[in-house]
Amino acid sequence: MRLRSKLIPVIEICLFLVLIIINATPIAWGVLSSLKQNKDILAFPPKIIGFTPTLEHYTRIISSGFFQSLLTSVFYSAACIVFGVLLSLFAAYGFDRYHFRFRNALFLLVVMGIPLSMGSGALLIPNYLYMASFGLTNRWYTLVLLYTTYNLPMAIWILKGALEAVPKEIDEAATIDGCTGLSILFRILLPLSKPAIAAASIFLFIGSWNEFIAASVMVDSPVLRPVQLTIYHYLGFFGREWGPLTAAASLAVVPILIAFAFLSRLLVSGLTQGSTKG
Amino acid sequence: MARRGNRGVLLVVPSLILIFMFLVFPFFYSLYYSVHQTYFFTVGRFSGLSNFIEVLGNLENIKSLGRTLVLTFSSAAITLVLGILLALWVNKKTGITALVIQSIGLIPWVTSMVVGALLWRWIFIGDLGLFNYIVVLLGGTPISLLSNAKNAMMSLIYVVSWRTIGYAMVLLLAGLKAIPEELYEASEIDGATKLQSLTYITLPLLRTSLLVTAIVLTLSNFNNMTVPMVLTGGGPGRSTNVISMELYRQAFVYYDFGIASAMSSLVFFFNTALVLLYVRLVKWSV
Repeated sequence: MRLRSKLIPVIEICLFLVLIIINATPIAWGVLSSLKQNKDILAFPPKIIGFTPTLEHYTRIISSGFFQSLLTSVFYSAACIVFGVLLSLFAAYGFDRYHFRFRNALFLLVVMGIPLSMGSGALLIPNYLYMASFGLTNRWYTLVLLYTTYNLPMAIWILKGALEAVPKEIDEAATIDGCTGLSILFRILLPLSKPAIAAASIFLFIGSWNEFIAASVMVDSPVLRPVQLTIYHYLGFFGREWGPLTAAASLAVVPILIAFAFLSRLLVSGLTQGSTKG
Repeated sequence: MARRGNRGVLLVVPSLILIFMFLVFPFFYSLYYSVHQTYFFTVGRFSGLSNFIEVLGNLENIKSLGRTLVLTFSSAAITLVLGILLALWVNKKTGITALVIQSIGLIPWVTSMVVGALLWRWIFIGDLGLFNYIVVLLGGTPISLLSNAKNAMMSLIYVVSWRTIGYAMVLLLAGLKAIPEELYEASEIDGATKLQSLTYITLPLLRTSLLVTAIVLTLSNFNNMTVPMVLTGGGPGRSTNVISMELYRQAFVYYDFGIASAMSSLVFFFNTALVLLYVRLVKWSV
């Protein structure tokens, strides 16, 4: 028994280390490789230490337009967050505080949207065909629309959960004090559901920053290409030059990791609320 | 005090329009395309089920469907088993420890599929990858992972599972937290062993969570074209050419939108079944 109680923490620490190694190695190795000169990248055995670090790959990809893609992705994500939070806030408020006809059926559509957007690959072709026929592809708003929509059902679900938790009596008191409709939402409910709004935002951010497949089909102009698409293009362009490839991958993953480091608690709560409410 | 009157509709309509336009309507549009002859973007005359027959009559498509199912289910199974084990482990932890483990678990999931697959490709790459270096260090002979058909498929399954294990853990952990503590206390009083309380309390009560997670994983793996595109590009040969990649190729390499739409519709039937199951299982109400 004593041996066992001593052994368990050791096993747990090992498990923890394995988890870190498996999950973080690709990124750590990518960052390390991106800082090596070409001759060190091609060295076998690979050099883990003892190479002269260089930023040459970073300057190379920045000068070949990677910065533009970063900016484009920042724009897509910011637009998606603003647009997505506003729309989902309205929708969550409507579903939670109003009675109207077909409310259940309409909310079912939102619930269905959660798994539907996970299988958005199958939607790609029809979406492309009909967006192309209306001239909606390859515009600055093309991906904003799609990314907002893909992440909207989840955002509505998260915010609805937060609004449910705010007692309806607060609305009544506000109504007596002269607040109406939207001002209740913005002045009273919004401040009370800040964590949920942050959770929805990080969801929208990850969803729009990381998306690749829709971008690869829907936009063509270099200025409209988000980072993920540019990285994919580099895969063909730089071929076996892993210096620029890993540098681009490192730059693309940094914003996500920063946001995640600060907001992981909210992301975890949003995730669990959205998918296993029952 | 929920308000009556139809003003609430105005609040939900903008979101619903988007969801309908880009998540629901495309399905019907692809059905329309798939029963017509197409030439590039032009829709020709009605062709009945001939596109479907052509898709299903092509052996390569059946093979890639088979590969897709292997990838989807083996990866979902690996993820679920490891996800449950991790969730059971984290469930004993509290506060910051639990959060740190969950956060580290979620790193692969928040990393984009392009970046994740690209970086694994760099590790797996034959002649100078980190993987083979470690194999050599441990005294083995280098293994060609991405240029050997069988190994490429295993690498693909590995990377797809890698992405989702932490995510499954977080979802299942929420399910575990929802099981009332009293049940365990009662079973302990009745003299149940840990294994018994796992098989008679935890797993049965985790059923819904497990099913929901399984559906989400199946959907996301079945439709995943990013990871195969970046990790293996469908190769070597066609050994990792999954259905979603084939559909992408039919549309955007060969511009055969009729065939591609028929494939999309088939994939979509599969998705719809899972979506309906999801809606039944998830407790939703307004």
